[in-house]
This record gives sequence, structure tokens and C-alpha cells, in this order.
Amino acid sequence: MRAFFVAAFGALMLLSLVAWRIEPRSPAGKTPLVWVSDDNPARRGQIALFNKLHPEYDLRLDPGSGMEKVILQCLAGVGPDLFDAYGPSQLDSYVRSGAAWDVTDELAKRGIDQAREVWPAALATTVRDGRVYAFPTNIAVDAIWINKDLFDAAGDPYPKGPWTWDAFLRVAQRLTLRDDRGRIKQFGFLCDWWYWPQFVMQWGGRIYSPDGARCVVDSPEAIAAVQFMHDLMYKYHVMPTPVDEASMATQGGWGSGTISYFGTGRGAMAMGGRWWLCTLRDYGRLNLGVVESPYAKRRILRSYTRATLVNRYSPRREQALDFLVYEAGKAYNDLINRQADAVAAVIRYNYTPEFLHNPEHPEEDYNEVWREVVKYGRPDDWSPFINGQTATRILDKQMDLVKNDQKPVPEALRDAARLVNEEIAKTLDMDPSLRLKYYRLTGRERPE
Amino acid sequence: MKSRRHELRAALGFLLPNLLGFLTFTAGPVLFSLVVSFSNWHLHRTIPFQWIWSGNFLALLRDPQFIMYSLNTIYLMLGLPLAVAGSLALAILLSQRLRGIVVYRTLFYLPTFTAGVALMLLWKALYNPEFGAFNAVINRALDLAHADQLVRSLGGAGVSAPTWLLSTKNLWGLEAEYVRVGPGQWGLGARDALIIMGVWIAIGGNNMLLYLAGVANIPTELVEAAQLDGAGRWAIFRNVTWPQLAPTTFFIVVMSCIGGLQGGFEQARVMTQGGPAGTTTTIAYYIYTKAFEEFQIGYAAALSWILFSAIFVITMINWRLGSKELSY
Amino acid sequence: MAKSKDFAAWWYRRGRFGASHIVLGVIAVTMLVPFMWMVLASFKPLQEVEQLNPFPSQWRFDNYSRVFEQVPFARYYFNSIFIAAWVTFLTCLTSAMAAYAFARLRWRGRDTVFRLYLATLMIPGVVVMIPNYTIMVKLHLLDSYTGLIVPASFGAFGTFLLRQFMLTIPPALDEAAAMDGASPWQIFWDVVMPLSRAGLVTLGIFTFLGSYGSFFWPLILIKSEHLRTLPIGMLFFDTVYGRQTNLIMAASVMNIVPLIILFVAAQRHIVRGVQLGAVKG
Repeated sequence: MRAFFVAAFGALMLLSLVAWRIEPRSPAGKTPLVWVSDDNPARRGQIALFNKLHPEYDLRLDPGSGMEKVILQCLAGVGPDLFDAYGPSQLDSYVRSGAAWDVTDELAKRGIDQAREVWPAALATTVRDGRVYAFPTNIAVDAIWINKDLFDAAGDPYPKGPWTWDAFLRVAQRLTLRDDRGRIKQFGFLCDWWYWPQFVMQWGGRIYSPDGARCVVDSPEAIAAVQFMHDLMYKYHVMPTPVDEASMATQGGWGSGTISYFGTGRGAMAMGGRWWLCTLRDYGRLNLGVVESPYAKRRILRSYTRATLVNRYSPRREQALDFLVYEAGKAYNDLINRQADAVAAVIRYNYTPEFLHNPEHPEEDYNEVWREVVKYGRPDDWSPFINGQTATRILDKQMDLVKNDQKPVPEALRDAARLVNEEIAKTLDMDPSLRLKYYRLTGRERPE
Repeated sequence: MKSRRHELRAALGFLLPNLLGFLTFTAGPVLFSLVVSFSNWHLHRTIPFQWIWSGNFLALLRDPQFIMYSLNTIYLMLGLPLAVAGSLALAILLSQRLRGIVVYRTLFYLPTFTAGVALMLLWKALYNPEFGAFNAVINRALDLAHADQLVRSLGGAGVSAPTWLLSTKNLWGLEAEYVRVGPGQWGLGARDALIIMGVWIAIGGNNMLLYLAGVANIPTELVEAAQLDGAGRWAIFRNVTWPQLAPTTFFIVVMSCIGGLQGGFEQARVMTQGGPAGTTTTIAYYIYTKAFEEFQIGYAAALSWILFSAIFVITMINWRLGSKELSY
Repeated sequence: MAKSKDFAAWWYRRGRFGASHIVLGVIAVTMLVPFMWMVLASFKPLQEVEQLNPFPSQWRFDNYSRVFEQVPFARYYFNSIFIAAWVTFLTCLTSAMAAYAFARLRWRGRDTVFRLYLATLMIPGVVVMIPNYTIMVKLHLLDSYTGLIVPASFGAFGTFLLRQFMLTIPPALDEAAAMDGASPWQIFWDVVMPLSRAGLVTLGIFTFLGSYGSFFWPLILIKSEHLRTLPIGMLFFDTVYGRQTNLIMAASVMNIVPLIILFVAAQRHIVRGVQLGAVKG
């Protein structure tokens, strides 16, 4: 027994020697920079390009798309130099935790004026209280993908925007096909329930009041909007219910989710983003078209953005700033457009000839639509008086019940509003600075 | 006889390597979390750090989500006795001198090896309401028995195969939002799906291995002696095997309770995202979201310590019950 | 000459063997099916992965090479095995020593300290992560092999497990050795440890498996590519743009192979080798 342990120890020491020998030495003379973002082929291309343009840096990716990694590392004082915020409330959290560096003046010194160069809808994820903390990496406004082959099979013309939901409904119903047992084998419309804020906005409703002081998702307009989504599933049967979706999963697909159902021809139309191309391109046989999403009372589309921040406590923060400058430049934005990682955030790079016609993918003749829809993009409502993820959880729970047809829409939305307002009250109780801000805004101590 | 002091010095020598690491990496942080639970530590700088002593704990008791998720956690432990008994039975079966016994053992342990994304994807497919294996069989059975018509004729609402991971139904009839029993909530849903999957993974897993080792440790003289006394198989199990396995059983039960009360995290994160409608969120997942999504570290620490107290009480109960263990 | 009577051979007579095979066989098949599905899926083109038909229409052997091309999989392999091996070694050694102190030696406060050990197993790990992380940073263990190995080697789990095993060893053996003038250290190595082989092997398997598959701690501790372990590396195939399930399956299959080898090799020690040189019959 003793002999065994001694031998094991010896072997491990040998392995350790090997590990030490094969450890890569960082290239001499280069400043290492660490960027926390999600890991995927597009990201690696973006990093490689930066390293090529800036040989004095060695930028590396550290994978992690949740906030825990950044939070923990910043708490311990070893945070990454650069990290991403996936939406306004994440930005808010980073700013309030002190990790975000206020780069307003620095970027101005480099001649970058976000307010003028970047699509307005992206500013929600980069600007807070008039100060700039980040630069957007891209902007996504989703539209309707159409499967031209299925339209051809039905003998229908390809829809053209702008169009209303009523017109849409007629098309979707014509493209929903059933098999001889009456079961639906092709849906007219595929849409993740995640898009519900867009419906609410279009019907004239809001999630939060304009000052963010209370949740107003129980307004009649919002109820009507969500009711329409529910009807698409349970009344008009053009959209799959959760049970239908689960069944579709076993009939094959690329990964999972709506992209795969659309990619395998289970749906004629699907609400999705330009970044779907990253996956759909590999299909090859698809004959795709894009049309703007239908609108109801208001022609509003939902936009979402990812933005990169610099860590305030990083010893290399000035150098890290060069990455933000890179994100404002032509090389990066052209790359984003080529990779179809949504759409470049800087406006003028969407008006280049390469944007409209990517020589590598000549069949993608619809890029103009993608550019047009960004103009109507508006980010989701959010409130500084409640933690974004808490609110999402409350709202998603009610939406789950609605989606599964377990709760009527008005009741669910009323409960959602009530619960969110209760959370807002709790947050105000916890944070005196927010209480002050709230009072200044509304003259009240808490939402009634 | 050795003197006490002699043994103490020896004990320290043996204990030290482990103890040092233990104090640094386990005990220290644990104490830290206890201290933090009396504060309102929040990662947003705008909330001033304050000692609120019992504030967190009082807030806990009034937190409806806490109660809901505690119930979820306990519910998900329902499969535990089955899993432990199954492991014991399998271990005894696999202790024989059968040909290819190693193959069997490896096969049974496979689910524990493959744990992760792969396994969860597969079980998601199995639980598919239309095409999954389970419902295929259930639907057949229901059709043959004309169960649906039968129930309807008796005035019920009809019966159909459960939708498993998409359903908030459960064997206690609990509602998804409030802590009460609701009409139409009785059935098999996401939580039951997770229990079944958990038992399947566990019976061939770590517990079985522990029992295998435990059975291998049983001195044959005891067994032979009992045999000579003419004891039957069941009597031998009761009088020799079971008591000899007592320390192992104690370990397994304690660790299973601890694991069960702290568990449900992986499934919530990878498979169900805590849904549908929050029904597969356990206390462990709740603590995680409170700490890393809502940044309320103080509250999360308090939650952890409440959980700890519950686990502690249960372990002490186990200790009392298992005090017949061989001790020296 | 006593027949080598196994506890097991006694338990079932020959006639029962057939029934055992049937029962075990049925259960084994249910265990095997998911694994077979996984292996088959690893050869499928991506669109077919979630289909019901387990067999690929075209066998894509290049899935395996693609895994190696897209990420430095060999490096991750080395890291995972290296770290797991060290953690297992350290855990087994230090836990065995501590377990011996708790199970065999008598000293004041022994049971209280043991209960403290036990208590730390009951704390949910999430909140403890923050102070743990800070300690790591202060000790400069961040982003290093040491940081991945050392903290993982000192939980109370191993001590608890081995103590339970050591309790089943008859004290008569200890006393016999002590009468011959052996010191506790010698008794530990020559008497107790050989008899705890089954427990040690079990702990070894658990620890190796746990370290090999641990995800969260390496995620937040590692910043450099060359230190990444397998679970972190697999993140690459599961992105917001889509999950390359077939490659995940291929990577998972490769993941498991060392575990299976380890398990099969370790089996012998759980079955046999317990009564070596123990109480003579």
C-alpha cells in the first residue's frame, strides 16, 4: 500500500513536469488582454481580426456568458479587462456594482461620438444617466424569415412589408397544413414566446411606465396584445403550442429550438434575427426571404444589443479602450455584417455596397430589409428600480402559464404587474439612493 | 494501554494535512458566509452595507417563493428511499461470482459517467409527450383499456398521457403559484419526470458502488457461522448483512439527504431552467439566483444557513437512528 | 482445504444464476440504451441528432476529428486527467489519514470535531464560493493548476466516507499489531490501509469523477486557454447561435472513455483483495 502511494506520487510529479514544459509562454512584448464573452466561431473571428490589426496586443477570449464570472472576478479584484453586457439591465447592474468604467471622455478624446454614429436603439445598452460606459458590438432587430419553397408549394406570393397582423393572419392560415389525421404538419408561423414585449409595444402598451416607476403590463392594450399571441396558438392554430413544439423536436433539426424547426421546413414563416444565418447558412438547401414583421397600432419592432465594457479596475484599461475603438471602426463592423452576427451597430457601415451584397453569399439578397427594420427598432422597456433578472423571472412565470393555457391572459398580466410592483417596493426599501431617485421622479415613496 | 496524550499527538499528526486545507478552504469560508448572513450585503455599491441581524431570516419566513421552493425540494426527494433500496438490491445481486459481472457493473454505472448535457437531452426526448418512449407505452395502455371513456362516463374529466416536462402537475396536487392544492393539478408532471430520471441514474451509481464495497468487506466467518447455525437467506440478511452494512447505510442515507436537500441545481440549470412556471426550482437554485442574478449576497447566505439548519436537524435525527453503528 | 467460499457464492446457489442474469440483463439494457444512443448520435450529421431513428443515415466519422480541429481538445483532455489525478491522490491520502484519526485513535474532542467536519458538508456551496474565490486570489492561486487542484482536495466527504469504512475493520487487528510494538503510523499503513482498499478505491472513483466533471469552479477560476478542462471546452459547441449536438456527443463519448477504463481497472479491488493477510480463517 505504501509502495503504491509512493509510485503514484512519482508518476504525478512526472506528469507535473510535463505540464510545466508544455505550458505556452505568452508572446513577449505583447500586452495581454482578456475579454469575457460567449464563445463561438464568430467571436473568434472578431478577436483574430483585432489581433491582426493591433500586433502589440494579445487579446484572448474567456468564455462565460452569465454574469457570475465577471462579478466574482471583479469582487476579488482580478476581473477581465473587457466584458459584455447583454441588455440594459445588465449594464445597469455593472454600473451600480462599480465595475464599469465611465468612458465618455476617453471616447470623446478619440473622436468617437456614439450618439451620432450608432443606431439610437443601441444606446440603451451603452449609456446610463448621460454617461457612456460601453460600445455596442451589434444591434439586432428581428424580422420574419420566410421559406420560399413552402410559399411556392402553396402557390402564394411572397409577402412584402409593411403589413398588418390581419393580413399576416390570412397568409399564415393558408400556409398551415394538416395531414390526413387532422394533425398539423406545417405551421404557418413559428415564434418564440420571448417576443411578447414586441407585441405589447405594437398594441400601444408598455411593460413599465416611461419613468420606470411602475409596471403597467396589465393595461388593456398589453392584455389585448398577449391575447393575440395566445390566439395564434389556441384559436387560429397557426403557431405551435408547447406540446406541438416538443413533438417537432424529435423530427430532426439543427440543434434545437425554433431555428431548427424552421430550418427543417416545419414552418413557413418564423420570427427571427439575422444572426440565424450563422446556423441557417449550413443548411444550404434553404430558399429564404425576409419580410418586415407585421405591425398593429404602432410600427415598432423590438431591438436588442450586446455591448462591451471596460473594467474600471483593470491595470490595462487604457489599452483595453483600443478594443472599443476597434468596435467603432470599419474593419470590425464589416466583419460583423459579413458574419451575419446581427447587424453592425455603427450606422454608416450598413450603407456600404458590401453590406447589400456579400460576395460569399450572393443568395442573400434581402439585406436591405434588415437595414430598414433597424430604423423602427426600440429596446425593451426596463426599470432602474428592479433587478432585470428578477423581473424577467416573474414575467416569464406568468407567461409560462399563459403559454400552457393554464391561466387566462388578463389574470396573468394583472398578477404579473402586481408582483413586479411589489418587487419594486422591496428594492426601494433596500436601496436609499434609489428611494431618493424615485421620490424625485414621482413624488412618492413606492408604487401604489 | 496508550495514554491519552500519546494518542492526541498521533492524531494531530494524522489530522493535520487534511485539517489545514479544511480550515482554509472549507471552514473559513463557511464562517464567512455565516457572518454575511446577518448583513444586507448587496453587490450594488449604492446599497450601504449594514448589519441587519435577524432581518434576512424574518424576511425569509415571509417569502412565498421560499416556501414554494422548499416544497419543491422536498418533493424531489421522494424518490430517495427507492433509490437507496434499489442500490442495495443491485449491489447484492452484483456481488455474485457471475460471469461478466464487471460488464454489468460498468453498464450500471454508465448513467453516472454520462451525466450532463448528453443524458439530459436524451431524457428530454424520452419524455416527449407525443413520440417519447414513455408516452408511447402509456398511450397504448390507455387505448386498450378505453380508459378515457371510462373515466368520462364516471363523471371525470377524462384521462390522457401526462405531458411530463411541460406540465406543472404533481402527485400532491400542488398549484404552481400558491401553496395550496388545486383542482386539476393532480397528475404527473415535470417534478415527477425528474424524480424518475433521478432514481434511474442513482440506482446503479455511487450508492451501489458503496454498497458493493461494503458487501465485499463483510467477513466471511460471520456468514459461515450463521450458515452453520442453519439460518435461511433472509435471516442472514437481517442478522449479518444489514448490520454489517450499517456504517455504509448511515453514510449513504446522510449523504443522500444532504445531497437531496442541496440538489436539483444541475437539472434546473440545464434541463428545465427552473420551469415550467418555477415548479422545478429548488432551494439550491434559488440561492444561486439570489446570489448571482440578483446580487443579494446577504440574503442568499441567510437562505444557505436556513437550509443548513434543516440539513443539520435531519442529519442529527439520522445519527440517532443510526447510532447502532459499529463504533470503537 | 477450505473451499474458497465467497460471501457471494454462498448467497446464490448455482440454480439461481440464470434468474440473476435475466434480471440484471433487463436492467443493464435500460442503462445501456442511452449510452448507445449517444454513441450513435456522435456519428450523425447535425440535422438528424434529435430524430427518433437512432441510426445515422450517413456515418460521419469526421465528427471526431472536427472536435479536435475546432478546439484544442487534446490539451483539455490532458488538463482534466492531470487535475483529476492529483485531486484524487491528495484526497485519498489526506482523507485516509484524517479518517484514521477519527476512527481509530482516541482523543478528547474527537467526536465534536468530526461533527464539525460533517457540518461543513451541509452548507450549500454557492455562497461559500465568494470567500473561497477571494482566498484563492490572495494566495495567488488564480488561473493556475494549483488553484484547480488544492482547494478541491480538502472536503470533508472523503474523511467521512473512509471513517465509515475503517469502522468496519475489527479492532482486534490493531491491538494485535500494537502488542507487537507497532506505532500508530505503522498500524495505519500496514494494517488499516490494506483493509480499507475497497473504501479507498470507491473514494478514488468518486473523487476522480467529481473532479473530471466539475464545471463551475474551473469556469470562474480559469482565464487562460491552456488551462481549460473538458467541460469548459465543450461550451464552444453550445452557443447562442445553435448547439452542435453531434459534436457534443462525440466529445462526450471521448470524455467518458478514460472513466470507463479507470472504472473497470478499479473493479477488481472492490471485489477481491479484502481479506489479504487478515484474520486467518
